[in-house]
Order: sequence, then structure tokens, then C-alpha cells
Amino acid sequence: MTTLYLDEARLAALLAEKEGISTFAPAPTDALAWMDTADGQTAAEALRQARPAQSAKGIFLAAAESVGRYGAQAGTPSRTEQQTMVVVGVRACELRAWNYLDKVFLEGTFKDDAYARRREATITVSCDCVDCTESCFCTLVGGQPHATEGYDVNLTPLEEGFLAEVATDRGREWLESGGSGLNEATDDQLARRDALRADMAKRVEAQNAAFGFQADDGNQPGLPDDADEAWGRFSADCVECGACTHICPTCHCFYLYDQALGPEEFERLRMWDSCLLSTYHRMAGGPGMKLTPRPALFSRLANRVLHKFAYSPQQYELIGCVGCGRCIDACLGAIDIRQVVKELSR
Amino acid sequence: MIAENQYIPAPAELVQVIDETPTIKTLVVAPSRPLEFRAGQFVQLSIPGAGEAPFTPSSSPSRTRQVAITILRTGKITDRLHECQTGQTLGLRGPFGKGYPIEKTAGKDILVVGGGVGLAPLRALILALLEDLSGIKRLSIKYGARCMEELLYADQYEQWARDPKVDFTCTIDNPQEGWDGRTGVVTTLLKDVDVDKSNCLCFVCGPSVMLKFTTFTLEEEGFAPEQIYLSMNRRMSCGMGLCGKCNIGPYYICKDGPDMNYALIKDYPNVF
Repeated sequence: MTTLYLDEARLAALLAEKEGISTFAPAPTDALAWMDTADGQTAAEALRQARPAQSAKGIFLAAAESVGRYGAQAGTPSRTEQQTMVVVGVRACELRAWNYLDKVFLEGTFKDDAYARRREATITVSCDCVDCTESCFCTLVGGQPHATEGYDVNLTPLEEGFLAEVATDRGREWLESGGSGLNEATDDQLARRDALRADMAKRVEAQNAAFGFQADDGNQPGLPDDADEAWGRFSADCVECGACTHICPTCHCFYLYDQALGPEEFERLRMWDSCLLSTYHRMAGGPGMKLTPRPALFSRLANRVLHKFAYSPQQYELIGCVGCGRCIDACLGAIDIRQVVKELSR
Repeated sequence: MIAENQYIPAPAELVQVIDETPTIKTLVVAPSRPLEFRAGQFVQLSIPGAGEAPFTPSSSPSRTRQVAITILRTGKITDRLHECQTGQTLGLRGPFGKGYPIEKTAGKDILVVGGGVGLAPLRALILALLEDLSGIKRLSIKYGARCMEELLYADQYEQWARDPKVDFTCTIDNPQEGWDGRTGVVTTLLKDVDVDKSNCLCFVCGPSVMLKFTTFTLEEEGFAPEQIYLSMNRRMSCGMGLCGKCNIGPYYICKDGPDMNYALIKDYPNVF
């Protein structure tokens, strides 16, 4: 694969507003969101920071969106041409999450059309991590802080600018949309890239050494089942806010919600849901009936962790946790999933 | 799938409302396109603008133009469904799930155990089996309801048991004036049950507590977990294995069920 060099001005130009293309890039970490941005300079700065505070899953699966209308004005929303999207600065952990979401929404019994169209319309420009948060732990779950697959172009921030490894034709087209004449990376630059990657991986490994477990797609920690009250040690600090699930790049639970737009016109919305909430499993039923299979909060917390570490490998042959650590940062009760796995693994 | 967009219901006209018991009605709906389904597969029935709930049709899968859905009044959506009038347009999505493994019934004794409104999905199975009894050796139906008035499809039992291969026994929970049949919960009908246990499949549907005790009784009677299929009760939103709510361990009841082989799920907690 070709690796090219581009200076910061060139990258900023690539990220600038373009007719007919939505470019998403992370905002610097004091802002939270992924921006549909025209400010290339700010985005280039964010690429040198640790992974964005929010995952980019909302680009493909919005927190709330219409899945269609029915009644008099029946129809499916936005069947119109899906605009090309460029998502820049995607980290290796996020790419693993996208691979996971693809398994769920594209490769199951039913394929989600809207998700498929958005994924197909996306040019993925990933970026090596050259910094990390204290909660980053990709190396504990079989990952690395640089991408190895799933991108069109992968960026490496160097002091003087960026290296761009071109993996696909459409990645090359995107890169050349800022003009031709890019030089190939020098051997010195490639050597510095490899050293940066190795250093970064060592740093993430070192900050997680104390957790002492190693999991990946084919190798999972032995956790107790969701009836084991040992989970209560952690659920005692859970306030059921759902932040961990909403910020998680692989969590994808939702519920369908109907609203009337008029007497004969209705819309169905798909809204993010959270398995920690007491209403999540709630069924209809009368007195004496068991209305939820997991009335205890500790069972719901266990179900979430088990889904990541035990059920997903069986369902999709992928571990469901990519080690981004966002749930650790987001948790109001300071529950650290690394500590949960460490303490409860047998 | 009945509709092009799998999230959106296709219109279905309510053509008949049958008062089955004081708490149960059967709504017969005519979907805009015939609904091809296997016995045990389920649909999401919606009231436009209000929401939807999962139900397994109670009519034979060979009737695709008019589908019967038997509903216990037990919550917000079912309250509304009980108020519906013929001529009204409802919505239908599906079918979802795998349905009963009818192909595995060949040459076997079939034991059907129902509790309360749980007889509804089982009726689709019973009717499908009755249409061609040559494939199976026997069909034994055991059914329990809370009281006489709550016996579902009471006018049809005789007809089901017309063939010598078929027998039907029911019970109500407590003695009641005017009732000279069996009393006690449905598990009492399973003691020393007269089927060829080594060559039998059991299909069970009812409330959670009934599923639990029926399963334990069947195991005591010598049935292996692999012989027992349970219609699991779980919250389901999408019906397609995407929304996450209905899991038992790694299984999504909507996609892998709703009738689950007990051997697959027995080692997970919170099954019942």
C-alpha cells in the first residue's frame, strides 16, 4: 500500500467544506461531539489528541430517527440519494466497533437499509492514536491503538504533518481531491511512524498492566452469570443513567416509538435504549406475573458486561468491547469495566 | 416480510372480533397482502400511532388472508386492542422468529401443554398438525385455565379430539360450581402422562410461572431438555434480533425462538 505525506495545510484543505460531501471530524476534546465541520484546522488539532469523547456511531444510528411513516402518508424517510460522507479521525477501537455493528445490522436475518446506505456512502479516514486517555484499554481486548483494517485512508500524525496510507481507490480519490502532487513518505517518516505505534501500544499496555486480564474475539474471561450477586458490588454504584450504553460504540439497543402526526398519519421512531434501565425488559402483565426477567439492577449490569464479553463472541464471533474506555469516563458511579472484569473473572 | 420496510406495519383490516372469555378476545385481521407464516412464528400487531405488541397468530398457517390473533387484556396496547371495532385498520409486521419445528414431529408423539391464553399460539400448531395427522403418531393436548369461564376455545376441544390419534384434557385451578371436570394446575395432568416418552416432543406455552413448573414436571416425568420447547415471554421491539431486549444469554428470543428448545437455554439464569 502506498503511504503519502501531507502537511497540515493540505489536510485542512481536505477537511474543508465540499459541495455534496459531509465531512465529519472529531472536535477537540473540550467540545464533545463529532462535527460536520468546515474547520479543517481544529480537526487536525483533534487528531493529535486521544480518541474523541463520543463515539461516532450516531453518524450511522442516530439517537432518535424516523424509520418511516404509515397511514395516509405512508413512506420511508430519506430514500433520496445518500450524500457521500467522509469520517475523518476514526480510531482503531471505533473501526472494530463498526465491524461489530456491520455484523448486527448488515449480516443478520434482516438487513437495515438505512444503516447499509450510510455505511456504503462513507469514506473512512482512520487515524493512529498518538495520545490516549487514562481509561483507554484497547490492548486488553485484543486491539491496538492503530488501525490495521477497515479504512480507506489511515493517517498518522507526525510532528511535521501527516502520513496517509492509502488502502482503497476511493481513499485515493478523496486524498487527490485536494490536488495531486503528494510525495511518498520517506523511510525516515515510516520508521518514525512504526516507532510511534510501538510506543503508543506500550503506553496503553503499561497503564493497564494492573488489570491483568487479556481478552479477544476468541478468548474471553470467565465471568459469573447474571444471577450471581457478586455483580452487586459494582451495581451498588450504578444510578441507571444509561450513559455507558449511549456512549458505547458497540451498544445498539433501541426501541420503536410511534407518534401520530395527524388523525391518519403516523410516524415510527427508533430511539436508543439502555439495558441498564428498569423499563428495558418491562412487559405487560397483571398481578402475580413476572414482568421482567431481570428485576435486579445487578442482573442488568451483568447482562451488559456478559453481552460484551460472553454473548457477542457466540453471536458474532467478535468480542463486544473494543476497549475505548468511554463507559469508564461517562459513569457517574465511577464503575470501571476493567475492574469489573478483573475482580469477577474466574 | 409483509411490508417492504421491515420497521413499518402493513395495514390490516379488523374483520371480526370474537369474545372468547371475559379477559380474552380474538381479533381476525385481513392483511393487505397474504401473510405467509409458520405455526409459532409471531407478528407485531399495532394500533396506528399508539404502538405495537408481539403475538403469535392462533389460526392455521394455511389461512393467510385472514389471520386470527388471540389477545389477553393485560396492558396498555392490549387494552386498546380490546376496544377495537370491526372495520378498523390495524397494522401488522412480520412474520418473525423460527416457528415450531414441525419437521421434527414426524413419527413422534406430540405433547402440547397450554396455560391460559398460552393455548393461542399452540392452536396454530394444533390446527397445522390436525390438517395432516398421518405424519405423527399421537397428539396429546393438556390445558389448564384459572376457572371455567377462562377456558379458551372451549367449543373446539371436541372437534380437535375427534381423531383417535388425538386426546384433549383440561383442568381449572380450583373447584367451581357447575364444573365436574379436573381441578388443579395444568402440571397435575402431566403426572404419569400417557405418551411414548422416549419418542415424544413437548410444546409448552403459558405464563412464566407455568412454563417453569411445567418444565420441572416434564423433567421429573423423564423427558430430556432436548424434547421440550418453551414459548418464551420476553419484551420484543424490533422482532429481528437487532434491538437487544429479548436475550436469554446469547439467544434472541425473537430471532431464535420464540419457541426455544429448553436444552439451549436451561443453563442461563432468569429463564423463567
